[in-house]
Amino acid sequence: MGCNNTGPSDLMADAQGLEGSQPVDLSKHPSGIVPTLQNIVSTVNLDCKLDLKAIALQARNAEYNPKRFAAVIMRIREPKTTALIFASGKMVCTGAKSEQQSKLAARKYARIIQKLGFPAKFKDFKIQNIVGSCDVKFPIRLEGLAYAHGAFSSYEPELFPGLIYRMKQPKIVLLIFVSGKIVLTGAKVREETYTAFENIYPVLTEFRKVQQWYGFIDILIYLSFLKFK
Amino acid sequence: MATFELYRRSTIGMCLTETLDEMVSSGVLSPELAIQVLVQFDKSMTEALESQVKSKVTIKGHLHTYRFCDNVWTFILQNAQFKNEECQETVGRVKIVACDSKLLTQ
Repeated sequence: MGCNNTGPSDLMADAQGLEGSQPVDLSKHPSGIVPTLQNIVSTVNLDCKLDLKAIALQARNAEYNPKRFAAVIMRIREPKTTALIFASGKMVCTGAKSEQQSKLAARKYARIIQKLGFPAKFKDFKIQNIVGSCDVKFPIRLEGLAYAHGAFSSYEPELFPGLIYRMKQPKIVLLIFVSGKIVLTGAKVREETYTAFENIYPVLTEFRKVQQWYGFIDILIYLSFLKFK
Repeated sequence: MATFELYRRSTIGMCLTETLDEMVSSGVLSPELAIQVLVQFDKSMTEALESQVKSKVTIKGHLHTYRFCDNVWTFILQNAQFKNEECQETVGRVKIVACDSKLLTQ
C-alpha cells in the first residue's frame, strides 16, 4: 500500500496543503495524507468576575443578548476566531486553525478584557477539541464498513448521510462520507487526529467502492447496437 | 405606544429640538409641551417611515465594527455603497444604528 500510494499521495498531501510544500513524513503519515486542522476549541480562566454589559458596550465586535445566551460573543480578525466570554471570567475560544493560533487568539481576548479595566489573568489554558478533515480521493462503501465494524459504526443514511465511527483508541469520532471525505473530531492533541486517520485508512481502502464498469460496458454495447441499427 | 428616540438625532429631529429649545427659553412654550411634541415626533417618524416610504436602499460595504447590546445593533461600515432604484453613492465611513421595531408592539 505504502509503495503504490507514494506518488499520488504526495500530490494529495500537497493539494490538501497541510505541510505546505514540504513533503509528507511517511513514517508519521504512512497513508501519505495529513488531515487538515479545521477548528480548535480552547478554554481559559481569566480569573475575575466580568461585567458583560460593560464589555459589550465598550468592546468592538461584541454581541450580548442575555435573553438568548448568558455570554458576550466577541470576534477578532487575526487569528480569525470567536470567543464566548462569561460573567464568571471563563472564556471559550473557537475557530482557530492551530493550537498556537488558538492560544494567541485567547491571549488577545484576555488583553481586550484587561484594557477595559478588568484584572484578567490567563489561567488554565486548555485545548478542548481539535477538528480535522481530509479527502482520501476514492469513494467508500459505507454499508460494508458499517457491517464489518458494527461495534464502532453508526450508519443511518435516512438521518445523516455519513457513517459515524467511534474509534476507541484513540478516542476519536470520525464522520466518513461516500465521497471519501473524512472529518475527525474529539482530539485534545493533533497526534490523536493523525493516529485515528492512520488507523482508519487501511479500513477505508478495504471498503473502497469499485467503479461500476458493468454499467459502462452496457452503455457501450447499447451504443454499438444503435449504430448497427 | 412606546417609541424610539432614534430619529431625534436626524437633521429634522435636531432642527425640531433646537426650535423647541428656543421657544421654551423665550417662554412661548412650556417644557412639558415641548417634550410632548418630541414624543409625538418619535411616533410620527416611526409611522411615516412605516406607511409612507416605499423606496428601498441596499447598503454594502466593509464591516469595520459591529455591536449588539440592549437590543440595538450598531454597525460601522467603510466604503459603503448606498444603492436605490435611481442612484448610488459611496460613503467612506458610515455608522448604522438599528432597533427592532417589533419591540415597540410588545
